[in-house]
Amino acid sequence: MENKDLIKLMKEKASLASAFIHGVSSVDQVIDYSIALCRNNKLKTISAPDFNKEDKRQVGEACQIAGLEYLESPLRDRINSLDIALTWSDYGIAETGTLVMKSDDETLRIATMLSTIHIAVLPISKIKETSTDIEEVLDTILKSESPSYTAFITGPSRTADIERVLAIGVHGPIELHVLLMDKSVS
Amino acid sequence: MIKTAQDLKSYKQQIREALSDSYLRSALDKFNTAYRANRPGVYKEIDFDTIRDAIAENKDSLIPYLETLYEQFKKNAQKAGTIVHRAKDAKAANEIIAGIARENGVQKIVKSKSMTAEETFLNRDLEKHGFQVTETDLGEWIIQLKQEGPSHMVMPAIHLSRHQVGDLFEKQTHTKLDKDNIDTLVNVARKELRPKFIEADMGISGANFAIADSGALGLVTNEGNMRLTTTLPKVHVALVGFDKLLSDLNSALRILKLLPRNATGQAITSYVTWIKGANQWLGDPPVNLSGKKQMHVIFLDNGRLNLSKDPIFSQSLRCIRCGACANVCPIYSKVGGHKFGHVYIGAIGLILTLFYHGKENDRIIVKNCINCQACKAVCPVAIDLPHLIKKTYAQVIKADGKKPLKNYLLSKVMKNRKLFHFMLRQAFVAQQPLLKGRPMIRHLPFALEKEHGFKSLPAIAKTPLRDQWLKGAKKIENPKLEIAFFAGCAIDFIYPEQGKLLLELLNKAGFRIDFPLDQTCCGLPAMMSAEEKTAKQIALQNIQAFDLRNYDYILTLCASCASHLKHNYQKIFKEAGENEKNLNRFTDKVIDFSSFMDQIYPFPESIKKVNKKVAYHSPCHLCRGLDVTDVPRKLIKRVGYLYHPSKDEEVCCGFGGSYSVDFPEISSQILKKKIESIVASGADILATDCPGCVMQIKGGLDKQNSKIKVVHLIELLTNN
Repeated sequence: MENKDLIKLMKEKASLASAFIHGVSSVDQVIDYSIALCRNNKLKTISAPDFNKEDKRQVGEACQIAGLEYLESPLRDRINSLDIALTWSDYGIAETGTLVMKSDDETLRIATMLSTIHIAVLPISKIKETSTDIEEVLDTILKSESPSYTAFITGPSRTADIERVLAIGVHGPIELHVLLMDKSVS
Repeated sequence: MIKTAQDLKSYKQQIREALSDSYLRSALDKFNTAYRANRPGVYKEIDFDTIRDAIAENKDSLIPYLETLYEQFKKNAQKAGTIVHRAKDAKAANEIIAGIARENGVQKIVKSKSMTAEETFLNRDLEKHGFQVTETDLGEWIIQLKQEGPSHMVMPAIHLSRHQVGDLFEKQTHTKLDKDNIDTLVNVARKELRPKFIEADMGISGANFAIADSGALGLVTNEGNMRLTTTLPKVHVALVGFDKLLSDLNSALRILKLLPRNATGQAITSYVTWIKGANQWLGDPPVNLSGKKQMHVIFLDNGRLNLSKDPIFSQSLRCIRCGACANVCPIYSKVGGHKFGHVYIGAIGLILTLFYHGKENDRIIVKNCINCQACKAVCPVAIDLPHLIKKTYAQVIKADGKKPLKNYLLSKVMKNRKLFHFMLRQAFVAQQPLLKGRPMIRHLPFALEKEHGFKSLPAIAKTPLRDQWLKGAKKIENPKLEIAFFAGCAIDFIYPEQGKLLLELLNKAGFRIDFPLDQTCCGLPAMMSAEEKTAKQIALQNIQAFDLRNYDYILTLCASCASHLKHNYQKIFKEAGENEKNLNRFTDKVIDFSSFMDQIYPFPESIKKVNKKVAYHSPCHLCRGLDVTDVPRKLIKRVGYLYHPSKDEEVCCGFGGSYSVDFPEISSQILKKKIESIVASGADILATDCPGCVMQIKGGLDKQNSKIKVVHLIELLTNN
């Protein structure tokens, strides 16, 4: 499948799973998007546990300017005040609109599980068509002797346990935003 | 807290209670309809049959090696810090878990949904040991508050309305809630349970896959509670059945293509989580110097390893717990899971209960299968569920060492064709007072009317077809085809006129059709009552009754007979380990009426149009038993009628042979729905191609004085 078709499929399937999906071309845009989302939802905190040092610094600065709180790792002590988690995603699986996240780091897990909104950045080069296309990578992770915690995430948390009515946002994030990063667009 | 009926009387009482629960009735009916309606869309992008067969084949190749897979899993998981245990039964598993909790000074435990933990009654035992256990899956939390067992494997609280849930939540939170608003109720769970995750020292989960070549677990979930259960507490215990062992990731990913689709209609669930080893844990105080959590996996045997060696029942270990066998079951949709299973519910529940929870809990519920095959058609691992249910029933009878009276009589009478047919002839005389000059019995004596009076009953014919055949048969010189007619009891003794129509029709076309007189009942009723020996003896009598050298086809007008003769005869001899030399020749020649007409009968070129709308009821044993789906509808049009689609054409009519006598309360409710769909369609005629369905539907419509005519397809075809 051609790259543009993969992107199209990823967008279509992630939307079907109630994820919000947008294109971005730089970390600056990711930060702008996150700050705006945080303010629009009247939320207060942002964490970015797997961002590199420089990007974390930028998120921190942007938060300060916007009057928001940037949460440093680890996050265990702030479990009750996790609003937005900003993370990378290792792969995308287009046929189901799924994000693949190696989340061995406990802080990363806590951020993606307990925040109200999860924003995940997915480089378009990491979009694969099917789960078969990431099978080898996943198999290598699982066969390694190190402990690992790898998540497939498709849309926000959901339930239909009461009267089979779909309700979005149970124990996990109430919203999932997927930012497709294409650095070639400027 | 699970009160599965141990005798028929209390079971009937439970069924009546369930049938009078108006919320349950409408919720499950809607669910059944919606599930079936969504299914084609869900499988638009992938081929269900191909993947199903591949999973079944893969699981069958692994089931004999569960011990080996366990050793391999253990070796690989240990390398990453997992402590692997095995438990021979439920008690042992619960003890291991309580021991781990004690060793780690655990007080509070959170759980994510696990049918295996339901199987071992883990909560009950942990609470006995003084631990505080909270279920965190929304549905599981609801039933924990209600102190009930799950009524569905995927949606444990499907039997409760939002108002019932709201009442529970109000009691729990001591606040007034907007009980109409489901989002409000879901939010209660989010708020109430979050502190539980944070306070807990131990998280217990199940697993969908245990991958031997890596020692990793795969978990398929939607709410996010499992992720918290396996992340926040310092100890994670996964309780996993031996049957969840797979050789590799590839096998797991294959199952993942069908599991969410079949269970909830999702291409994939919100979360699929792959966990290996003791992962990082940064809580305070640390569990150990390395900053890792404590990770345990307990493999539960509880009968699985024995099951894996059983030539017949081992296929039940293929089950991936999608719950679909309940979703499409007409009986489940009437009575719900609490009355249709023990811990495990639905078709697979009727089987597994014997092996995991004993014959006492299965003795009565295992009888409650109408054999409509709907479960088998949707099973993502191709378990022959209806067949295994009857095999399970036979095991229960065997273990009891005492046959029910019905079985004793059935076996006595049916083995002996002459006695059986003598009794049917006597029935003609006995029924006369009830007929009151009508062709059907509309009212039964008072004692029977209440339960069995939901339909008019057909009369036994004065002269059975076998006594009229030779008189009606034309002498055909050089016939184009030689056909043997397998009449079946219903055509022979109740609807002989349908058989005579067939005789005329085929003679007219230049075919010779014989009625071999030594033929008897096809034997399906014996098999349905788990009278396996009788069923085999009858099969042998029938095979011997047909001189196979002479005939091109063995034709029936009864879909149930046809599918029994064609498929079950093969199973009967295969499972008995017996070679019957004429078996294949016999079963190869069996053909149902619709397929025969479509493939072989030379229709005239011009057909007169008849301006009548014909609805079609697809007999279970035709559309699922023999995979004949489009042909009968095509035939209706081909003979000049207007085929008029109606709702749920392929849903059971509720007959099921003696099922309608054993469980009239349920049979009548299934029929009621069928009749509503037929009436709503506005058809003039309802056609079907099984005399059992004709009997049931005609009886129901007659009782209502309906003008809709019910016919066997042969009557439609020969009318014109």
